[in-house]
Amino acid sequence: MLVFAISDKGGTGRSVTSSNIVYRRALRGNDVCYLDFDFGSPTAGAIFNVSTAERGTDRGGMHSYLQEKVAEPYRVDVWTSSDRSALRGKPPGAGQLVLLPGDSSGGEFPTVPSVVQQCVRLFLRLDEEFDLCLVDLSAGRSYAADMVLAATARPELAAIPFRWLVYHRWTRQHIIAAAGLVYERRGLLDVGAAHGHDKRRLAEQIRFVRTAVVEPSSPDLSALRSTQLAWLDECNRDLHELAGRNRVGRTAMLGKVPLDPVLQWREQIIVDEDVYASQIANEGTTRAFDDLATKIFDERAWEGL
Amino acid sequence: MKLQPRQQLLEVWRAVSRTSTHDGRWTWGGRDGSNSISDTEQLLCLMFPASELTGFKIDVPDETAEDVLESLTALGDSIEVPKTLIRVIREYLDNYTSEDGRPLFAGGSYFKSNDPAQDVTKEQQDLDVVDSFSMSVTLMLSILGFLKVFRRSVRREELLREILDVESRASKRLSAAMVNLLRSFTINAFDPGSPQGRVLIRSVNQTGSPDRRVIEDLQRQLTGVRAGLRDLTIGSGQVDLDNPNLLFECGWSWGIVQDAPLVETDLDVGPPAGGIAPNLPFLYFTVIALTSITDLFSERTRVLGLLDDDQQQLANALQRRWDLTQAYWSRIAMFGRGRWPLEDIPWRTTDDAESDYFSLLVTAMVVENLLRTRASDTVLNRVAGVLDELAIRARITRRAIKDDPTVRMHSPGVIYQLDGSDAIGPSMHWLISDFAITLLKRTMGVASIAQSTQTRERLLSLADEIWVHIHKRRCGNGVGRDLWDQPSNVFADIEPASEVPSWYFTERVVEFLVSAAKTSEADPIRSPMLSDIAGEMLSEAEHLYDQEQLIWATSSGQALQPKLRSIEGNLQRARAIVRARPGSAMALINESLRDLELLALARENAAGAN
Repeated sequence: MLVFAISDKGGTGRSVTSSNIVYRRALRGNDVCYLDFDFGSPTAGAIFNVSTAERGTDRGGMHSYLQEKVAEPYRVDVWTSSDRSALRGKPPGAGQLVLLPGDSSGGEFPTVPSVVQQCVRLFLRLDEEFDLCLVDLSAGRSYAADMVLAATARPELAAIPFRWLVYHRWTRQHIIAAAGLVYERRGLLDVGAAHGHDKRRLAEQIRFVRTAVVEPSSPDLSALRSTQLAWLDECNRDLHELAGRNRVGRTAMLGKVPLDPVLQWREQIIVDEDVYASQIANEGTTRAFDDLATKIFDERAWEGL
Repeated sequence: MKLQPRQQLLEVWRAVSRTSTHDGRWTWGGRDGSNSISDTEQLLCLMFPASELTGFKIDVPDETAEDVLESLTALGDSIEVPKTLIRVIREYLDNYTSEDGRPLFAGGSYFKSNDPAQDVTKEQQDLDVVDSFSMSVTLMLSILGFLKVFRRSVRREELLREILDVESRASKRLSAAMVNLLRSFTINAFDPGSPQGRVLIRSVNQTGSPDRRVIEDLQRQLTGVRAGLRDLTIGSGQVDLDNPNLLFECGWSWGIVQDAPLVETDLDVGPPAGGIAPNLPFLYFTVIALTSITDLFSERTRVLGLLDDDQQQLANALQRRWDLTQAYWSRIAMFGRGRWPLEDIPWRTTDDAESDYFSLLVTAMVVENLLRTRASDTVLNRVAGVLDELAIRARITRRAIKDDPTVRMHSPGVIYQLDGSDAIGPSMHWLISDFAITLLKRTMGVASIAQSTQTRERLLSLADEIWVHIHKRRCGNGVGRDLWDQPSNVFADIEPASEVPSWYFTERVVEFLVSAAKTSEADPIRSPMLSDIAGEMLSEAEHLYDQEQLIWATSSGQALQPKLRSIEGNLQRARAIVRARPGSAMALINESLRDLELLALARENAAGAN
């Protein structure tokens, strides 16, 4: 299965959440790979603590491959290459966890038919090898998003299921921006339709993920003043209403990730050790990741109304 | 214990969804088994709050509140909950539709035999009963509204088709229930000299006036009602009231009246049902019918357009009966210049039975009428007195003595004979055990329209006391945990009942909690006295503030500016809310006055030291 991760704006936690989802899936025994399609700033390596690909790679990453400059894309096996001891060494029962970084010196490049063709080839190959290929796109509208919409509309990929995760933070601006990214003119649906997707079927493959969510009912908020809590509660209600109106409401949502200090200060994989041994991360965060990792494959979660 | 409707309702929802699902499947039936009424009550426990309170909406999955979702986890997440409910509703409609398409309203296991040696026959169990028509009207309206709103969020064809199917079947059941209600309405006319007439006259004559005068007064009082009743055209209860000397009473029998005429309508309601109920109003069923008929012309029903034209016609016919019945019983209950017949507890019915429960039922109708006519507090205070006394007499706000016969009214309940039922088996009765909760509901109803704080407080504190009693009666453990009813918790003489919840009682608690939540949603009472004082205080504070501003207008006042600004802010806010919430405004004004006074004091002090 192909999963495309996109966000309305930068700084939503798209990459870090996606990485964690991939990691959780790998722990459950799935073979997974993570493709860094954030061509402007390929930094996925940093999240997995792979120093050789911290700012992309110069050994022929995604850019080079898609523009047919290299025959094989550079691959990083996280279980052997991560500098972080908690990630090094494949846990028993876990599946492959492979990272396909971008080029360190790369930038955005326009979608031309040959690039789309190469992209189709890449997805076909990876789908044979992996249960889940998560493609991390950049924020907002981009050539990369255009390219994958074109590629997935091709008959060669018709048999491969794909899904879209649209990350957004739980604020007015982000809700409006996320809805715009999907539904407005030149949004995902429009562009997809131009490439030959059926708009309704494409819409059914898109779900939103809320990040850095602060729940007014959360016990973590006990330090706030009562007036702040009352205000927060009211804002939250407003946001729910706004989200519903903009078709970003609960029915279109796959999951939400609570605000976690660890993710705020450092984008990293949260391993069980962080939650139970050092207790720097919240259990709710990993639960949210797990939930997302489950729902990505759960047909019922995508059935909708 | 303070009543917290929202928390309580969430707790009930949690318990209902937990008790009703086993291995992901919905299970019907409570303490008295499964029947058309009990199952309706069970569903209403969820559907009623969902349709009446905005905070409990589940028809727009995007907007469902978090705590509501959390309480319904047993039924699924925000998207699954409505789907599960639709499945359950369809099952309900399947269960209570006969093979030839007739909606069924049988009393089933709620019918009890008078003869311990002979069970209620199958034929009797299948008899339709007003309680079921009434509950179905309320439930169908909830369902129709729910589906109408939910439909807007649905895109999938398959689900849409299912919704439309359930909708048309629910609408058919609603029509059938209305038709049946029209066929169970009855007017009983009698001669003043008959035994019934004598009982009625004795009830209304509280001042010892000559009977002849009382009859004349009564006839005059009832002229309007009589005229209205004579004009009724469809359904049962078309009686010749032309003889002005006859007395009468009106209301609902316990089921479809024997030989009731058919109701002509273009609506599909299935083949008509027969009836064997006598042509006599039964107080209990009258109150039950009246309660649901109000739902037919509630604001929600109108706004959402839940009735089609033909149904609207039936609803209008029912509304006329509602008006007349309400008016009839209020006139009777509050007749005369002396003590009201209602205050003469216990109430005596024309078949010469008397019970505190009948007093409660008549009070219920009176309260309903007061709600509509916005009665004055003098009247409300008298009703409050009746409610108060009923609570005492029923051992709700007083302890029961040993072997107290009154306790039997709560458990097993008041035995209500269903006359006429012996035509096809042993004679039957109905067990009514909702005294406490009905009393609470009516108390809350009166409290919600009280205009003076004093009356309201009196009623609310009575309501709180009754609530404590009801709250204690929750089942403590077992499948019915957090649901009702376990009267042995409050009455030592009673054997503990089964731990399976009684949907009969629980549904009534839910209904009460919903009305309590609505009352809390409304604005607090505005006391004119408090308003006046707040206004005066505000003008003093503003004046002092202006003076202070004058003094500090020079540059030396810079350091004090934040303080003055906060005073100004407070006063502005106070001015904005003084009309709606004078008490809150006063709190702000007080603070400002204190600050201003400290400044004045400091200056006086400096001046005095010179």
